[in-house]
Amino acid sequence: MKLFAQTQLLEDVQGKGLCVGCGACVDLCPYFTTYRGKTAMLFPCDRETGRCFAYCPKAEVDYDEVYKARTGRAFDGTPIGPHLETYKAKAGEKTAECTFQCGGTVTALISCALDNKMISGAVLTDSEGRMPKPRLVRTSEQARDCAGSKYSASPTLSVVNQEAKRGVRNMGVVATPCQALAISQMKMNPTDKPDFEDPVSLVIGLFCTWALDARKLEALLAEKGIEGKIIKADVPPPPAEVFVVETDQGTVEIPLAEVREIIPEGCSICPDMTSELADVSVGQVEGDAGFNTLIIRTQKGAELVKTAISQGYLVTETLDGDKVHNLATASANKKKRALAKAKEMGLLNTPDEEGRAAMRVSEGALNKIQP
Amino acid sequence: MSQLYEGKKGEKVLFMGNQAIARGALEAGVSVAAGYPGTPSSEIIENLADVSKDANMYVEWSTNEKIAVEVAAAASFAGLRSICVMKQNGVNVASDFLLHLVLSGTRGGMVLIPCDDPGALSSINEGEARQFARLLEIPLVEAGDFQEAKDMLKWAFELSEEIQNLVMFRSVTRLSHASGSVELGEIPQTEPKAQFNYKGFILDPVEGPVVSVPVEYRHGLQQEKLKKAEALFEESPFNTYAGPENPEVLVITSSGATLYSREAIHLCNAKDKVGLLKLGTTFPLPTKLIAKHLKTTDKILVVEEVLPFMEENLKVLAQELAPEVGQKTFYGKRSGNIPQTGELNPDLVAAALAGILGQTYAPQDQEYQTKAAQQAFFNAPVRDLTFCPGCPHRASFWSIHNVLAADNRDGFVCGDIGCYSMAFLPCGFSSLKTLHAMGSGTGVASGFGKLGQFGLDQPVVSVCGDSTFFHSGMPALVNAIHHKSDITMVILDNSGTGMTGFQSHPGLPVDAQGNESPALDIPTICRALGATVEVCDPFYPHKTQQTFHKLLEMPGVKVLIMRQICALSPEKKGKKQYEMSVDETICMGENCGCNKLCTRVFRCPGLRWDEEKKTATIDEVICAGCGMCAAICPSGAITRKEVA
Repeated sequence: MKLFAQTQLLEDVQGKGLCVGCGACVDLCPYFTTYRGKTAMLFPCDRETGRCFAYCPKAEVDYDEVYKARTGRAFDGTPIGPHLETYKAKAGEKTAECTFQCGGTVTALISCALDNKMISGAVLTDSEGRMPKPRLVRTSEQARDCAGSKYSASPTLSVVNQEAKRGVRNMGVVATPCQALAISQMKMNPTDKPDFEDPVSLVIGLFCTWALDARKLEALLAEKGIEGKIIKADVPPPPAEVFVVETDQGTVEIPLAEVREIIPEGCSICPDMTSELADVSVGQVEGDAGFNTLIIRTQKGAELVKTAISQGYLVTETLDGDKVHNLATASANKKKRALAKAKEMGLLNTPDEEGRAAMRVSEGALNKIQP
Repeated sequence: MSQLYEGKKGEKVLFMGNQAIARGALEAGVSVAAGYPGTPSSEIIENLADVSKDANMYVEWSTNEKIAVEVAAAASFAGLRSICVMKQNGVNVASDFLLHLVLSGTRGGMVLIPCDDPGALSSINEGEARQFARLLEIPLVEAGDFQEAKDMLKWAFELSEEIQNLVMFRSVTRLSHASGSVELGEIPQTEPKAQFNYKGFILDPVEGPVVSVPVEYRHGLQQEKLKKAEALFEESPFNTYAGPENPEVLVITSSGATLYSREAIHLCNAKDKVGLLKLGTTFPLPTKLIAKHLKTTDKILVVEEVLPFMEENLKVLAQELAPEVGQKTFYGKRSGNIPQTGELNPDLVAAALAGILGQTYAPQDQEYQTKAAQQAFFNAPVRDLTFCPGCPHRASFWSIHNVLAADNRDGFVCGDIGCYSMAFLPCGFSSLKTLHAMGSGTGVASGFGKLGQFGLDQPVVSVCGDSTFFHSGMPALVNAIHHKSDITMVILDNSGTGMTGFQSHPGLPVDAQGNESPALDIPTICRALGATVEVCDPFYPHKTQQTFHKLLEMPGVKVLIMRQICALSPEKKGKKQYEMSVDETICMGENCGCNKLCTRVFRCPGLRWDEEKKTATIDEVICAGCGMCAAICPSGAITRKEVA
């Protein structure tokens, strides 16, 4: 991993409009903050290396290095990444009812982890008005308040950083792919901090095609005259081409073309659809709104799922082969698009003499992905 | 009691120029003095206020300069002698009233005392009040030393009463703020009676109403008064000449430049060939006196600060007099011999004079100059222009900066006049993006706040001090409210006119003379005007920032009052609220996670970076104990303990 600091981060990420507001650089120090879904630099820092750059999922990410450190295997471009098993899953009886995006698998797993003290707390995304508001929850009751996709980029990792600074360890995090990547980089202690302790022990990854710029989404909803409390938002499978917003006053559809306008540029170079660096990953099941796709990736993830099933938090079923196939196809397409875009922007494997890269992947992976 | 009032006739005392002017006012029997604080003028009103009760004077710090002139004018209309005092740009503020006052004329002697600031040592402009004398068509007199500062003021009152119009007595920083020996005169023991007569004929200058109409008639009258002044100037004892009968070069100068010119002639060793005509009466120029001196030489060097005011007037006169005195060569600003900006000094004048005389002049030898510059560069510590330790403005701008940066919509601050003007510098985290006149921050913001129609979507913030709020901030706020402009006005209320020395203002419960006065409550005023108002303490940055964020999100006019008394305020008596300390074992120093936030970014002078230990330390001698650094320390290494 090539290490730089704030100056380069501003140039490479903020300057190129690639910041997705994940919060990885926020609250490590007094110089980055997040407000209403956007990451902001408060004051310049003249250090030559910094965690802000090291953790950022859009700056000099060496995919082989991160994948090796996290999964023990190099990044080879496999569509849904390293994994043990795939299932379809939904919340079991033990998981109290609330507004789930699909099957309630994330809430089920987090509740199970919290109730069994497998984690000390979970960093989840709640809402404040129409802004995503990450927070650390300590109980499964609190976790249920955060259920449902926010569809907008959330600075979740700022809370991880804040809590880590306060000495909180053994946190669980519900993370998008970019956030799972940032956490993986964080776990590597890239700046060799002598007092480093890994604060995160469980990552539940979310499938993600893109997130939306929180401020622009707020403005778009206002423009569309959408009032009331948003209960959830969703993109139904093709050919619907709409973004469905469900509020306490009814349901509104916004053409997907308009919504695509407010996707952060940074999402376009993200090769990961299924949060490959998480312990388990959760997403939709195509055509089956009552279930989630569940990918178990690590031993820790497997244990959590096992406990959750045995205690009635979660119910799993076999995921049909064609669903796995379709997921792999969609994932492979995202990789292909992302790498092509990064290449076009000069941000893929950029030679030193031409500057810094956003991502570095091996020749082998490139051959497989074929951007 | 000071010598200002107690000093007896004939005593010689060391007076600051502004004290000499104040004594001049006392010796002239001035009854009313009004002004608005502004460097370098403030000590005149302050000194008079101190002795006002003994001297049976009425002295006030007016809300702004225009009102100061109006207050002083009322005294004149009632037959009393009055002065009004301000810094150079105060005359701009007062100019509308002045233009009418000079048409209506005055009754009791009235003198306007602007103190100019060549080089803008304590200003953000290099404006000149002298130009106003020409614009207003009133006599201008300028003292050349401290004795004259006192004596000429008294004479200016006689002149004002003679011509029944306002007289401008102009000072400059180096006269107002330097000190010199002054021989005192008598303070008259009179008990003037105020009576405003208005029942006479409309054109009766003593008994009629005081109005500026009929304009053309009164304008003509005013010009006659000016002619009368010029005639009196011909005999003025304040115009002096020293030098040979037929000098090779005639230096014509006035005001503070008199001393520079005298020294320059000495430095050039040119006493025998250079004459010095020092003018105390600089507008209108006394034609006969000028003609007399022009005849004696061919080369004239005009020495004055900033613009070529005297030079241009002299050239006009010289052209008119050419048939009588012959064609002259003028040296000065238009020829490039004297700079048109900045303060003068003896070296600059000596260099100009030497050039005309065909001599060379170097203030120091080159080797010494180079060495001195090197020493200064390498050995003198870097000292920023910055806020004092414990200054609430640093805390306020910390929050303003951080909120606007976090808000991340390219919000900006329109600045105003006060210590906080420095916030365009790093000490205020370079927050100010516009900076002009008193009250202009909010006026400019009011304009920016209406540009949404044209796509401007940046948050607009203005800052304004408490005294500035009353001076001219209020009309701007009214404008913004009435026009539904989207702005957030931050009132930096440090309970006094901090920059100029804690003069009272309408928000305080005391007036210039120390009398109890009704204090106007800024939040109440702003609410009554229709703004959304919040008050916070900038020493609690978290709360302050939350409030500011909330206001910034709201449409319309919001006022956030950041209230915390100035660290230097006499009320604080230098008492620390907290004893501060740094735990070196916790301080993160240069490490990732801090990188010297307190000493590199926050930069309160009360904090020091220990290069050996690589930690921050508190400079206990100058730390004001405000506690702000503990609030911002990211690691909690800085702690505060309440001082019992």
